[in-house]
Amino acid sequence: MNERKTLLARLAACDFILYETALFLDTHPDCKDALAFYQKHLEMRKKAEEEYTEKYGMLQHKDYKGQNSWQWTEGPWPWEYEEG
Amino acid sequence: MWIYEKKLQHPVKIARCDPAMAKIIITQLGGPDGELGASMRYLNQRYAMPNDKVKAALTDIGTEELGHMEMVSSIVHQLTRNLSMSEIEKSGFAPYFVDHTVGIYPVDANGVPFSASTFQSTGDPIADLHEDMGAEQKARKTYDNILNLCDDPDVRDVIKFLREREIVHYQRFGESLENILDGLNSKNYYAFNPAFIPKKD
Repeated sequence: MNERKTLLARLAACDFILYETALFLDTHPDCKDALAFYQKHLEMRKKAEEEYTEKYGMLQHKDYKGQNSWQWTEGPWPWEYEEG
Repeated sequence: MWIYEKKLQHPVKIARCDPAMAKIIITQLGGPDGELGASMRYLNQRYAMPNDKVKAALTDIGTEELGHMEMVSSIVHQLTRNLSMSEIEKSGFAPYFVDHTVGIYPVDANGVPFSASTFQSTGDPIADLHEDMGAEQKARKTYDNILNLCDDPDVRDVIKFLREREIVHYQRFGESLENILDGLNSKNYYAFNPAFIPKKD
């Protein structure tokens, strides 16, 4: 696996944890353990996201960092088959 | 992957209830030229596109249409607040009410449920982008008709915003089509070649 894919896998792991916890919080909005768990992984996610977007570009429009060209339109797109 | 933002693209605040108008406007949720069909059309067409700029345009416009579904639903929701039974019966809202109460269900103005047969995803970029330009004009037409039927400035404000977005999307799809055509061999002036070339056995 190349470094881009490793970083993307880390992001996906953080995001899945956050989503799963958010679903739990939807039905348990005052659970202190779940809130702390969410907070901890939110910080991990922010770091992973910063590293990814710094090196490999945008995950969403608002990741734009002042480049001369709108890198959003550059592939690969998530649905495309990639070797390796 | 999609993320939900807890806000509308353009605010919806409708002071006066009007179930008859709700029954008309709901066609832009579940009707043949509505926002649900628009979103499904563009997001499903992306996979067959050969050009990264066109993939980006379809992703972004398809995503915006999801937001427009929410705006149309918000209009219908607010137009059907605090209704009395006589308002429901006199306004012609009763046939919708009996099945859906004041919940939101994607139907056209005649109550026909949403159908995926209102749009295509052909796997052919030229065919799809021509459909997309037509779809934006058809949606613009429906918003023009709604503006002719509706006097309430609270509703008209939102409908005018949505109508304007159809015009912008039409322009972006026109450019996307040019993008695809520019990638063709000059001998293919009439843009007739199939997109799919079978692999040899």
